[in-house]
Amino acid sequence: MNTSVTSIKLVLLGEAAVGKSSIVLRFVSNDFAENKEPTIGAAFLTQRVNMGDHTIKFEIWDTAGQERFASLAPMYYRNAQAALVVYDVTKPQSFIKARHWVKELHEQASRDIIIALVGNKLDIIENGGERKVAREEAENLAQQEGLLFFETSAKSGSNVNEVFLGIGQKISLKPAQNAQDGGQGSSGLRINDDSRIDLRAPYGQSSAAGSCNC
Amino acid sequence: MSFLDTLRQKAASVRLLDRMVDVSQPVSRDQKIRNEFKLPPEEFTLDDANADISVMHPYDKMKNKPAEGQSSRAARYVYSGHLYLTAHYLLFKDSFDSTSCTLTINLSTIRKVERGAANSYTTSLTLTLYSESQVIINFIGLRHRTEQFCRKMKDALRDNVPNTKNLSPFLESCYSEYLIAKNILGNSDIHPPPTGLGYKFRYPGDASKEKPKLKLWFDYFQKQGKNLTIMKTPLFHKAIRVGVPNRLRGEIWELCSGAMYSRFANPNAYQHILEANTGKESRAIEEIEKDLNRSLPEYAAYQEETGISRLRNVLTAYSWKNPDVGYCQAMNILVAGLLIFMTEEQAFWCLVSICDNYVPGYYSKTMYGTLLDQRVFESFVEQTMPLMWEHITENDIQLSVVSLPWFLSLFFTSMPLPFAFRIMDLFLLNGPNALFQVALGILKVNGDDLLEVDDDGMFIAILKRYFQTLDQSANPDSSNPKYRQITKFQELLVTSFKEFSNITIDLVEQQRNRYRKDILHNIESFAKRTQLRNLPSTRNLSQENLSNIYDLFYLSIESHKISMGTGSSNMDFEAFIQFLSSFCDWCKPGDSDHIPRFRKQKREFLKRMFNRWDRAEVGELTLNDVVYGLDAALSKDLMSSINYFFGFFDQSGSETVNGEGILQISEALLFLTDAWKSGKCVDKLTKRAIEDDIADSLVLKSSASGQMLEDVQLPSGVTIEEEKYKQEQTERYLCAASNFLQRSFEYSKATEPTEEVDLLDLSDTDGENDDAKKKRWEALRANAALNPEKRSVMNLATFRMIILADATYELFFAETFRKSIHVDEKVVALDGRGGALRSMFDGLLADGKRVASQVRRRVDSVATRNSVSSGSALELSDNQDEVDDFSNDHTFDENEVLKNELLSFDDGKDDGERSAQQQKKLQTFSFNDDPQSRENSLIEFET
Repeated sequence: MNTSVTSIKLVLLGEAAVGKSSIVLRFVSNDFAENKEPTIGAAFLTQRVNMGDHTIKFEIWDTAGQERFASLAPMYYRNAQAALVVYDVTKPQSFIKARHWVKELHEQASRDIIIALVGNKLDIIENGGERKVAREEAENLAQQEGLLFFETSAKSGSNVNEVFLGIGQKISLKPAQNAQDGGQGSSGLRINDDSRIDLRAPYGQSSAAGSCNC
Repeated sequence: MSFLDTLRQKAASVRLLDRMVDVSQPVSRDQKIRNEFKLPPEEFTLDDANADISVMHPYDKMKNKPAEGQSSRAARYVYSGHLYLTAHYLLFKDSFDSTSCTLTINLSTIRKVERGAANSYTTSLTLTLYSESQVIINFIGLRHRTEQFCRKMKDALRDNVPNTKNLSPFLESCYSEYLIAKNILGNSDIHPPPTGLGYKFRYPGDASKEKPKLKLWFDYFQKQGKNLTIMKTPLFHKAIRVGVPNRLRGEIWELCSGAMYSRFANPNAYQHILEANTGKESRAIEEIEKDLNRSLPEYAAYQEETGISRLRNVLTAYSWKNPDVGYCQAMNILVAGLLIFMTEEQAFWCLVSICDNYVPGYYSKTMYGTLLDQRVFESFVEQTMPLMWEHITENDIQLSVVSLPWFLSLFFTSMPLPFAFRIMDLFLLNGPNALFQVALGILKVNGDDLLEVDDDGMFIAILKRYFQTLDQSANPDSSNPKYRQITKFQELLVTSFKEFSNITIDLVEQQRNRYRKDILHNIESFAKRTQLRNLPSTRNLSQENLSNIYDLFYLSIESHKISMGTGSSNMDFEAFIQFLSSFCDWCKPGDSDHIPRFRKQKREFLKRMFNRWDRAEVGELTLNDVVYGLDAALSKDLMSSINYFFGFFDQSGSETVNGEGILQISEALLFLTDAWKSGKCVDKLTKRAIEDDIADSLVLKSSASGQMLEDVQLPSGVTIEEEKYKQEQTERYLCAASNFLQRSFEYSKATEPTEEVDLLDLSDTDGENDDAKKKRWEALRANAALNPEKRSVMNLATFRMIILADATYELFFAETFRKSIHVDEKVVALDGRGGALRSMFDGLLADGKRVASQVRRRVDSVATRNSVSSGSALELSDNQDEVDDFSNDHTFDENEVLKNELLSFDDGKDDGERSAQQQKKLQTFSFNDDPQSRENSLIEFET
């Protein structure tokens, strides 16, 4: 059997302590740690998944969630083909933040980026905790913005693999893009470089592109 | 945009830039000395002098006792250099090489000062310290200078007397004192001072060399002094390079970072901060709580309350000390590291020193320091490793993705802890350049492997593996056992500090200054884009408007620096006034501000507006609040604009205001329209009047000279009677104001039966001067307010009716008010748009075309009147009014038109169209004739 390998650069975004790193840990090592060190900058992990006759290699960038790290995020989502925007189903504020991330990705990231909206910590609700973000509300957002939508529990492992499989499937279903990726190697799609904080660009250059007119 | 506007904008944006970049002030001499000796910011140089110094310790004396006399003195090192005196310190550094000797003596440690035998020196002093050590200072230089230094030192010593009581408790907290006391003085029952968690929970890593290392330092402390009296010689640097013993690490870190001096200068300050803020809540505290269980969780002490509570205390105390920074992830790991070797108080001051002096801006709200150092690091890689840099750029590898966590967590999250502590030793000893040196060393050592891979993910993977094997041999295959013994970590240190020894602290500072402006600018535009993106959707504000509002908003909050994330980003009432006055005609500072009554009106109205905009009712506006507020204020719909204004006064939401409310409304209207009343601004009605008059005069002139106007042009030097229009406008506004008040009370009392009001029609009193009118208005107002029988209630419908009944006020709500809020001008200079004259002309020039068409119209009608029989004139008129309408069965002879030289009609059609358009426009704007508003007012009357 001819097994072709597709690399997918995937970035996780979301408010602090919603369980981004835990989702990755569950997916990569099927493990869970109650107290994970907060991610500084970003962590990089990879995981291979076999899908039918080909293999998908996820190159996962797990970013820091604290608000002030947001200005570093463009560094990580540039060239990403997929993004998980994670929120905590028991924290409404984290869902607002998720909306902002979706907006930012649509505006700044690669045009064809596949975004999955992920409501995490479902286990808390299953154990009697109060749900604060309605499933319908999230589904609506997903529908409006064309996102995949999942509710997961990194603790119990429920639905975590499905998120990545869903993304893998969606990307495999785009043959034209796959061909392009193959040609470009793992660097993925080009995006408009002006949209990120480019440490190399002299100022004036990077500001000329945005919607602001300063 | 006019040239002037462009200039104004430029000036304003330069202001914006200035505020942004004025962060890199030149370093003062005092600052330099403070940096060198790691002294707290309160220390200033009082005096300085050249001197030779030598130090004699009790240990020396004992050892040299048999020899006695001059011989021992001759053997002692003498250093030549410069002495500095600050309020609490006596400092010395070797003139030739400051690493060969620096001496930092706290004045509290000096017990006795004696004048010595001068020898060949002009002046000589012998200082006896608390430890019986003696420092001999031989001054070099002019006598009066050295005498002056001695005098100042005497004063400083005297002033410092109150601090000496803090000395002995402080010394008890130093492990170096414990070492000496235990081993020299033979105190066996002495207990070690409180220290870090490691003492109980063990120190990470191999402790086999702990004892010899401790001995090395024990010897050093005897010979060169310790803590507050230490002399740093090359051995000091070397002893740190080989690795500090765990038990002394806390003190050495304190000493190197200068945290010790801050701690001594601020006894109990740490406890006070904690006590003063007990029970308080903040965003930072919330964030800290989230991370307490996630800081070095593999270390035993952080799995139980002992470690957790210390961590909580230090992080919390820092967040209160520096609210601009608050708490940033990575600080938890750094502090968790510090606390293994230090007490809470020691760790706190060490954190302060690191955040303020070593890596400023790293943990700030925008993390500008982190981003800046990444840029600096890139430039170092480019300069020192061109091949690597080429590889990085060719493959579009984002280096900071790899290196940022190294810098941000000072290697604590990258390397196994024992190695990270070693890096920390060198970082605190040498300064931030050590981070760059180690980072460059890492790339260099792994160069061959890194050049093989082409993406940042692989970079990270290779280096992760490397960090995990730092304890292994760097040359496992070497036949030479000596080489085999060298670990990768040792190899890294050698590479870093030998090969990159040119990366000095000065170079780092220089490069930081070089890129600071770019980075701050990038952060600002990023922050702006992000915030604009997340603003609520608006109906009346364009993206460009929002961008302008953003700029003006932050320009008004002086204390806030967007790029550095310092200060509150919310707007208080005073900033709100400043904000509005930068782009609203009616809020600009002016002469009227000197009138107390006006000032009161202004503040009252602005307060209403502020409170209305302050949706969360917290006394501060966010950018979102301001955007919502302005969006509502700028409604293009006349009715909603009137409703919006009424809402300021109708706090109950009942769509009614009482008599008091009516008065407040009229006061507010007086304030709002002041710019027009005083002739500072010109509204559309006045503008039209001016244009019509100019057109009239042009026509008059041309008919007098018997010339037909062929090409209407606005004369270059139009002189208008400014005063006349001003006065007319003033009158119009005064009338509107008095009519408003009168009608308000007239119509609002309909709900309650009271006697008729004597209607005073002020507009008819022609002969009266302004003053008299004002007085009458005042009287009217007073009567209305004081009359107890008039417990009037005015509802929204009535208010609308009254506004619509007055052309000036109607126009005010339909357009004048909206157009006086200049959200469309990028950044308006605060003093722009000055006198009335200029604004009149500004408007005139913009509408010159309209004047021209007005002239044409008049010429036409005159011509029509004068010569009904004249075909050409008739056609001119046709052309003007119905040029497109060919169905019109006027006699229309194209040929004759073409023949008519006077009215060269080649471009006549265009003119005609323009004129027709202008007329249409005029119609829409003259509200008195607007059927729709008539209808509206009718409806309002019915209700």
